[in-house]
Amino acid sequence: MIPRLFFPYTRILKNKLFSGSVFNLKTSLISLLGLAICVVLYLVTWRTVAYFHAQNELGIILSMKIFQMAWITIFAMLIFSSMITSVSTLYLSKDNELMVASPAGIDELFNMRLITTFFNTSWMVLLFSIPIFAAFGVVFDSGILYWPLLLAAIPATSFTASAIAVVIIIILVYLFPARRTKDIIFYLTLCFGIFLYLIFRLLRPEDLVNPEKYGQFIEYLSAVSNPAGPWLPAGWTANLLSTYLLDQRIDWLLLALIILTPLIIYFLGELAMMRLFLPGFSKSQESFGGHRSFRRPQPKQYRGWQWVFKKETISFLRDSKEWSQFFMIGALVVVYLYNFKVLPLERTFGTTYVANLIAFGNIGLTGFLAASLAARFVYPSIGAEGGAFYLIRNSPMSMKRFLCYKYIFYLIPFTILTIILIGVSNHFLQIDGPMWWISLVTALIICWTVVALALGFGTIFADYNAENRAASMGPGAVMYLFCAITYTLTILLLGFSPTYRLMRSWLWQHKGLPLFDALIILAWGVGMIVLSLLTVYVIYRRASAALKPR
Amino acid sequence: MKPSILKLEKLSKTFDKFTAVNQIDIEVGQGEIFGFLGPNGAGKTTTIKMIAGLLQPTAGDLSIHGHPMSKDPSRCRELTGYIPDRPYLYEKLTGSEYLSFIASLYPQSANGTDFLGRSQEYLNYFDIEEWQDNLIESYSHGMRQKLIMTSIFMLEQPLIVVDEPMVGLDPKSARIVKELFKSKASEGKTVFLSTHSMEIAEELCDRISIIAHGSIVASGTVSELKQEQKHASENLEDLFLQLTGAFELQEVIAALRNNQNDNVLNRTL
Repeated sequence: MIPRLFFPYTRILKNKLFSGSVFNLKTSLISLLGLAICVVLYLVTWRTVAYFHAQNELGIILSMKIFQMAWITIFAMLIFSSMITSVSTLYLSKDNELMVASPAGIDELFNMRLITTFFNTSWMVLLFSIPIFAAFGVVFDSGILYWPLLLAAIPATSFTASAIAVVIIIILVYLFPARRTKDIIFYLTLCFGIFLYLIFRLLRPEDLVNPEKYGQFIEYLSAVSNPAGPWLPAGWTANLLSTYLLDQRIDWLLLALIILTPLIIYFLGELAMMRLFLPGFSKSQESFGGHRSFRRPQPKQYRGWQWVFKKETISFLRDSKEWSQFFMIGALVVVYLYNFKVLPLERTFGTTYVANLIAFGNIGLTGFLAASLAARFVYPSIGAEGGAFYLIRNSPMSMKRFLCYKYIFYLIPFTILTIILIGVSNHFLQIDGPMWWISLVTALIICWTVVALALGFGTIFADYNAENRAASMGPGAVMYLFCAITYTLTILLLGFSPTYRLMRSWLWQHKGLPLFDALIILAWGVGMIVLSLLTVYVIYRRASAALKPR
Repeated sequence: MKPSILKLEKLSKTFDKFTAVNQIDIEVGQGEIFGFLGPNGAGKTTTIKMIAGLLQPTAGDLSIHGHPMSKDPSRCRELTGYIPDRPYLYEKLTGSEYLSFIASLYPQSANGTDFLGRSQEYLNYFDIEEWQDNLIESYSHGMRQKLIMTSIFMLEQPLIVVDEPMVGLDPKSARIVKELFKSKASEGKTVFLSTHSMEIAEELCDRISIIAHGSIVASGTVSELKQEQKHASENLEDLFLQLTGAFELQEVIAALRNNQNDNVLNRTL
């Protein structure tokens, strides 16, 4: 029998997944997609591990090291994400009033919140880590016991991460208000994620198996042979599984630690919950003390576009979940440009031709980056108006004009980002001449069009009830990304031949462009502009129509 | 005096330096409908949340049926049915699933499957019986309010605590709710409700307390309060305004009337 507090969650899941008693189409598609991702993960890991494994002893050690580091990193991320989730589920959840005011015991509430936190944060890790670790098992030709060890150790470690997170949160919220605790944990997680991302990229792990670098890694070799994280539950799991993979031997001490630790932390958590939850929850209900006051606005009549710009800017800057994404984008841009800086152009390619080819491909990369950032920031911008959208709909401002203002607002930062990405990467690639202009102009046209597509699709599929911007991404966002990528690829494919002809005359012939080539380039330029304008026009019409009263 | 069901003694709640509820004393007897009135921000919801066990008092104590909340919160919760001012409903549950979940949270009150018959009765009163197998996300605001009311009435709790009970209800449903409160009181259940509606307080409540700036400024039956304030001929609204800030209101009204007169004068000129 399912414990009573789980009833809404299990029933909601059932009602969401099944329409009537039939497994609905959406669920089937999502399941298929999940399965496909599992297969891809398995194949990619299998290939990578097989490659390392085939190198020599160093390859095997390195592959084990990657195995251990990956699992410890996942464990740390799990603790952080469980902390954020458990602040919400334990203290800020909308059904808390109902649950806490009912006679259900605090211990019962603890069980429910811990288990839901565990599932919410770990299901993806559990689902996607199994094929990854299974690939290790297959490559290392592990014994039969590897599989039950894997299936016991990974959920046990994930559960330990969630339980540790819940205990930390109960203590933190007892000491600080819940919302402040959530903000602190959120920033810590973000910084940790950025740190990991930068370290991983800047260390260039692909160099580890580069024979030319072996000389520098003698000391490293002795370090990699040591077991990773001997004091961490994730280290125990990684070491247990890697010991079994290498020697087909079970380390019983590690297995006992892996199984007993979650139980001990569970009981500690329950104790903390019984003693500290109610005072912490009571404090989390208190909305006083955390108010920030802002400068009173100038008594001035704003024009329509000024008002939209101002509202968008202050809403963005006052929402820590939104502006803190700047850090992530900053890290992304640094790593993106760093990759161009370290391209071994002299050694491997050594020709201007290849640099120009990369610059052309970079247009597509910038387009994809703009498309994905637009999916995160521009797509949800109409839905983010939420329940207050009636104010705009009822105002004398036309919806078409409102969409235009929104478009221009988002166009500015995206244009600046595109110019920076193309300009700096062209500088690192030492690009000059026509390719500089082709890449810049094409990237800008693609950027402007994908931003329009994001706004248009976001309007057509607007979710005015989503709790936050990230939660409003639905099937419309997938359709948007598909269209944006198709559009970008079309522009690039159509432009490849004309750009090649132009660059050929520029690089090798240094003489006038043949008339036919010039006409082809002109046709591509005009075609690109027409296609982009047409795309923007169609999506703008559809979006405006979607906002009309029905 | 009827046996006491709810007793608040010198109950206080402070948030940092702000005192939301300041040493209030209230005693509500069995079978009574008690109205808790006050302007916005006076401390009504804070008091109600303390009664529901959602906020811990800074000082003082409260007990339900003789069980102190500080020592026996589980027993207090078993005896109380609480409807907040902004209740939460699971959008992806159906009405009947929601009711069955509430019954599982209050097993003693639900008494096996007895709650089923009672829930059908109340759904029928509120005219939403045919909607009970639809997802709550398709309910209107009023239907949600009716479902919440059903969930509390079906439990037969000895103490019903309601924050703003009539918000979103049509006149017919509001009348049904009023009659249900009266019927519950006649069965010996106690109703503690906060409201802004003077009409509800006057019509429904056996006794009322008026809270302003966190303190109780008046308590008693409506007629007692009118007599105390020498307002026998006036209605409860005037009395309420007198007790909770008529002076400021008069200033606002005077300013608005001056404005109106100026406008008329300008138009005439």
